[in-house]
Amino acid sequence: MTVRWDLLLIPSFLFTFILLAVSQFMFLEGSFYKDLGLGRTGDSLDLVNYIRVFTDGFYLTTLWITIKVSALATICTLLFSFPVAYVIARIRSSWGMILLSGIVVSTFITIVIKVFGIIIIFSADGWLNRFLMSTGITTEPYSIIGTQEGVVIGLMYFTLGFGVLTLYSVVQTIPTSLEEAAEIHGASRPRMFMRVILPLAMPGLVAGGLMVFNMCMGAFTSAALLGGGKVFTLPVLIQRTIMMEVKYSMAGTLAAVLLVAVILINVLSILLIRRMRTARGVLA
Amino acid sequence: MSSSMKWKGLAALSALAISTSLSPAALADGKFDGVTLRIATWGGSNKAAIEESIVPRFEALGGKIEFVTGSPQANFAKLIAARGRAPFDVMEILDAQLPDFAQTDYLAKIDLSKVPNTKYLEPWSYNEMGMASWLTQETICYNTEKFAELGIPAPKTYRDLAIPELKGRLSIPDITSGGGLANFAAISIAAGGDLQNVKPGIDLIRDMNVLKFWSRGGETVTQFQTGDIYAAVVHAGWCVRAKNAGNPVQTVHPVIKDGIVGVQKYGRLGIMKSSSNYEAALWYVNEFVGVENQFTLSTQTGVFPTNREVVARLGADPVLKQMLELDPEMLGKQLRIDYSEVNISDWVDQWTRAIVTN
Repeated sequence: MTVRWDLLLIPSFLFTFILLAVSQFMFLEGSFYKDLGLGRTGDSLDLVNYIRVFTDGFYLTTLWITIKVSALATICTLLFSFPVAYVIARIRSSWGMILLSGIVVSTFITIVIKVFGIIIIFSADGWLNRFLMSTGITTEPYSIIGTQEGVVIGLMYFTLGFGVLTLYSVVQTIPTSLEEAAEIHGASRPRMFMRVILPLAMPGLVAGGLMVFNMCMGAFTSAALLGGGKVFTLPVLIQRTIMMEVKYSMAGTLAAVLLVAVILINVLSILLIRRMRTARGVLA
Repeated sequence: MSSSMKWKGLAALSALAISTSLSPAALADGKFDGVTLRIATWGGSNKAAIEESIVPRFEALGGKIEFVTGSPQANFAKLIAARGRAPFDVMEILDAQLPDFAQTDYLAKIDLSKVPNTKYLEPWSYNEMGMASWLTQETICYNTEKFAELGIPAPKTYRDLAIPELKGRLSIPDITSGGGLANFAAISIAAGGDLQNVKPGIDLIRDMNVLKFWSRGGETVTQFQTGDIYAAVVHAGWCVRAKNAGNPVQTVHPVIKDGIVGVQKYGRLGIMKSSSNYEAALWYVNEFVGVENQFTLSTQTGVFPTNREVVARLGADPVLKQMLELDPEMLGKQLRIDYSEVNISDWVDQWTRAIVTN
């Protein structure tokens, strides 16, 4: 008798379908009806919400800010997490596992606590500002609240652990023998990094980068707490629209725009990377 | 003792036990047996005060109170999402939400004959659709030491906050926060506008150079603590809590215009039409506006009571006496917004576009 292992997929599929697809469909469907406020919608299908989003500079700017801070946070996360992941993956002693466990544990800490930690560090009377002012680097306290830099730092802090864990598994797939061979043939460390490690890690970096970017695009807490009511990303605007203004159709429209933007950016990135690799293959 | 006497004695004791258990007091003890009353309200010290003053008495009657914590806006969103079939029996409603509720059919009529504590309330503060449960005095809360260090006088009105010394040192409520609309209205009127023309208010807020637009009043307590802000537009209760946390803060009831000093907003308790615990909900509403709960709530959170008896007692509390306006004549001069005249959606839209620095 053949064992139907594929049947095990059904519970997960149903769970995901009911909780995710059905609710998303309801919002998506609602987005095509005029928003009348207080959860009420018009009777007929209408594109008025979408027309408003794509013709109103405020919504377009908010979309652009969301993409910008997410992209910056992704670049920073990759820049910070790759060296950490590389070092941990190459440590041969038990320290590697200890450090990796530390990273895993750090991802368990709720983002609210993490963000409040940042706020305290950057507070006017905090040690960082006291240091900056006592050394004359700044003349007045530097605050990250209500700034796009602050939101980028918050998003980066949110995704750093995930970035390290993803890139750790990427680095582990690169055989150390290749690095040793490059070294024997006289390659310097920077050259070895650029010509051996980076090309081999590139698919993982792209995948990890997209994962981090997607997380940033949908992140609410960091953007809400550090944005200080002055910097809006789409998730913050969606929360405000649905919870404070009770405009479900409009919130559904913004959610749909966010989802489509994320999918488009992911697809375009993958296509771009493929084209670059193909071009490199032709040149080689 | 003979066997028959034993039985007679047991029978007498049983009769006594039964009669005792059926006495009015004992009957009242089980009045809400098995009832779980769900209250939609804020968490934190507000919930703690209710847990101290009301919950034990409801439990003594056999019932249980559960809290659905969240802001009134968030709870209203839940109500809309559930199409009125609320996951709670009683809800705290903000005055600014009354026009929204007027467009729905979610509230049950309150049988005022079963709320005897209305005798302590002002006539304006209750009707069949709701009962004013607290007032807040919206103030400018400022750090007296920092102001002295900077050599600037205590603020008298909002315009006094738009000075270079306070650049990036202010926190004012986001328009979607609990006190957002009341303070935005007050700032707009103080700046020369009115409920139909809030542009002067928006211009003044832009001049203020605010560090953060808070969404929860508790954020300002933290910001005073960390030294991030020197002044905040916030209700007196948060200033009381900031003071209790060790900050050298004081409230100012801002001058709005001639004859108007200070701002009020108020909350109301409404009973949900979908509630299956109407009698218990009535009991809760009555207890909420009663002397004991109003006193506990005021002294622990710094909100202003709607119960007249309690207002007279607050003067004995040195911190509340210092932070709250207790003079009946001055209370009458405080601004209370009539939201039926306000296009809230338009205000939010104007605010979002003008204040957000995207």
